[in-house]
Amino acid sequence: MGDILALTVEHLMLSAAGVGLALVVGIPLAILITRYRTLAGFTMAVTDVLQTIPSMALLAALMIYLGLGNQTLVVTLMIYSLLPIVRNTYTGITGIDKGLIEAGKGMGMTRWQLLRMVQIPVALPVIMAGIRVAMVTAIGIATLGVLIGGGGLGAPIWRGMQIVDSSMILSGAIPAALIAILCEFGLAKLEKAVTPRGMKASSPAKS
Amino acid sequence: MVKFKNVVKAYENHVAVKNLNLEIPEGELVVLIGPSGCGKTTTLKMVNRLIEPTSGSIFIRDRNVKDLNPVALRREIGYVIQQIGLFPNMTIEQNIDVVPRLLGWPAEKRKRRVYELLEMVGMDPEIYAHRYPNELSGGQQQRIGVLRALAAEPPLILMDEPFGALDPIARESLQDELKNLHSRLNITTIFVTHDMDEALKLADRVVVMNQGEVVQVATPETLLRNPANDFVASFIGKNRLNGDSLQSVVEIMLPDPVTVHPQMGLAEGLALMKRKKVDTVLVVDEQRRLLGSVAVETLDREHKRARTIGEIMNQDPPLTTIRSQASAKEAFDLIIGEKLKYLPVLDENDVLVGLVTRNSMVSALASAVWGDVGE
Amino acid sequence: MLWRLRFGVMWVSDFIDFIRSNLDVAAVATYQHLYLSFGSVLLGMLIAVPLGIWLSDKERLAEKVLAVTGTIQTVPGLAFLGLFLPLLGLGVVPSMTVLFLYSLLPILTNTYTGIRGVNPAVVEAGIGMGMSPRQLLFMVKLPLAFPVIIAGIRIASVYIVSWATLAAFVGGGGLGDPILTGIMTADINFILMGAIPAALLALAAGWILGMVERLATPRGLRG
Ligand SMILES: Nc1ncnc2c1ncn2[C@@H]1O[C@H](COP(=O)(O)OP(=O)(O)OP(=O)(O)O)[C@@H](O)[C@H]1O
Ligand SMILES: [Mg+2]
Repeated sequence: MGDILALTVEHLMLSAAGVGLALVVGIPLAILITRYRTLAGFTMAVTDVLQTIPSMALLAALMIYLGLGNQTLVVTLMIYSLLPIVRNTYTGITGIDKGLIEAGKGMGMTRWQLLRMVQIPVALPVIMAGIRVAMVTAIGIATLGVLIGGGGLGAPIWRGMQIVDSSMILSGAIPAALIAILCEFGLAKLEKAVTPRGMKASSPAKS
Repeated sequence: MVKFKNVVKAYENHVAVKNLNLEIPEGELVVLIGPSGCGKTTTLKMVNRLIEPTSGSIFIRDRNVKDLNPVALRREIGYVIQQIGLFPNMTIEQNIDVVPRLLGWPAEKRKRRVYELLEMVGMDPEIYAHRYPNELSGGQQQRIGVLRALAAEPPLILMDEPFGALDPIARESLQDELKNLHSRLNITTIFVTHDMDEALKLADRVVVMNQGEVVQVATPETLLRNPANDFVASFIGKNRLNGDSLQSVVEIMLPDPVTVHPQMGLAEGLALMKRKKVDTVLVVDEQRRLLGSVAVETLDREHKRARTIGEIMNQDPPLTTIRSQASAKEAFDLIIGEKLKYLPVLDENDVLVGLVTRNSMVSALASAVWGDVGE
Repeated sequence: MLWRLRFGVMWVSDFIDFIRSNLDVAAVATYQHLYLSFGSVLLGMLIAVPLGIWLSDKERLAEKVLAVTGTIQTVPGLAFLGLFLPLLGLGVVPSMTVLFLYSLLPILTNTYTGIRGVNPAVVEAGIGMGMSPRQLLFMVKLPLAFPVIIAGIRIASVYIVSWATLAAFVGGGGLGDPILTGIMTADINFILMGAIPAALLALAAGWILGMVERLATPRGLRG
């Protein structure tokens, strides 16, 4: 039981590390491409194509170059987390009402102030939605980490499957499913919390 | 033809129509008019049972609509709405013959009917029958909206502000066409509007409503000569009652000139001017206060250097403007005397209320001399 | 460390030789992969499209159903296979069941929102002209929602094709098999033999259904 708890924590940490790295890379990248729109199409196309590579295959291919272990897993998680984060940050910022930007400029804000005081706060709910999708995806892909010698809840599932031991499988599968669902709900709550009071209308999801 | 008997429509916390009694004889064009929220749409939709009355009855040719199958009932009643609502997935031909198709008319007859209707409004069927709604202008689309309602030769048609969203020119010509169609086909028509000019122009009888009640039912002439009370009088408007025209600059201006905001991009501005076929636009702020103007030549010249309209407005000589309280004569004198192409009209807060152009002046003059003239 | 890695430069010609000599393996895996993915998406369509239509005028219920499918969506694939193993055992059946469940959300969401997104003025015109609910659905709502529904099927197909590699874990076959072999033997040739066709299939599915989407868009709706 203690084992499972440790694995669960590890699983969460690995996923969070992947998403965290994706944030560090993805948000500046997204802001950059809002300024250079020609880059935007290209970046989106690249992340879109990356997304079609089966996670198992990317994991395996990276293993050949980065070796066995958690570092390979985290890099893979980062790659898959990039798309939702970049896409949502980009659409969040570019979707802001032009009048609002005008108002900000009119009040004498610099580009940086505009970004910090207007664009990011208004786009925050959309960015948070990207983070939520990224986190849930990462938790899913992290279960495959066991294949390349990584940690997390994949290990009992995978080993259980080899020896056809249902209780061992479930001891990994149930917590993995639960943390994914809890993350989804928790981050959705957070998303609502960061939505400014004045703009609490439900927007349709698009993938 | 249509009879409302003690009709009431109450919502939880609001009575939309209070005890309506009204009889509409065969072949009449009745216009329902009144301020926003007075219950016009509700009244109209109770006829084809898109809304069910709370109490009272509605009869069409002495049949209580409540006893009729709503789907069958609606196929016998033409229906035109302000948002037009053409089916974007169907061609013009398919749009017009929806009800005949629902009624199972043979293909040959349907096609003949579509062509006949299109020709009736001067739209060449060879050109338009196979187009899609988004390939038509707003005015043409609503023309199809009207034809679609007429297609199955219904004895009754309902129109809810059908021309409300159109520009003044398209509105005017559709009104003329409707008047024309009505005098030819004599279909009983209930027409909703809140434009008094439209009501006076089209109606055999006008029904003025306020807060769910009928205030006056009268022919346009009677309405103008004997408004039932102050509400009706103020609704008709002072100028019309005086009968004496061309007193104020307001009467010779275009009420809705083409305007842009300063943050609009140049390309967008250029496209707008092309679309509206104007060579100058007025720049206004959110409160519609006049900031300046931009000519198409300036736009063309500066499109490399500047990004928004705001950056290039007012390069042309300063605008001469006039207050809305001024008389028509002052506007004439200014335009003729200073050789102006146009003259913006502002109220006391500098809010743009209209634009006098040489054209608007001439047509106002013409209608004062010869009465309302068509296109 | 469990495996010793075989590093080294992978020459394209080596890889081509490898594929040539293992063509039968690659062909079988690709066939199984297609079968798994399209089988589950087809099943997903058969359930989710009618369900989405049926839910389109039941807002309260629809929200609940969408929440449930949304929750299903978040469960990790491997965990899902693990949860079903005691029930469905190994092989194609549990693999397709899981993939089918994943395909539901995008198809259902798009069917539902596509139909509800039809311009209310057009719907009012249809009702006002005397269309029965069924006529309104088939003459107006479905044709107008069609591109959105196809988009849902496209989104589902693209990632079901990618996720179908997971079937290898429970002996369901498909392109996950060579990838798994490659991981076990640390052989990049096997990994690529699974990964490249899988990615190409996903891209092709996206491209083809994107075409269908464009063709299915009524001319009157195109920009
Ligand atoms: N479903 C509803 N529930 C409650 N109140 C309603 C509903 N529909 C309409 N009303 C109210 O009934 C009144 C009459 O509405 P109606 O649409 O008939 O007005 P109208 O005269 O057509 O106005 P407009 O010129 O703005 O179209 C309004 O005050 C409106 O708010
Ligand atoms: Mg109305």
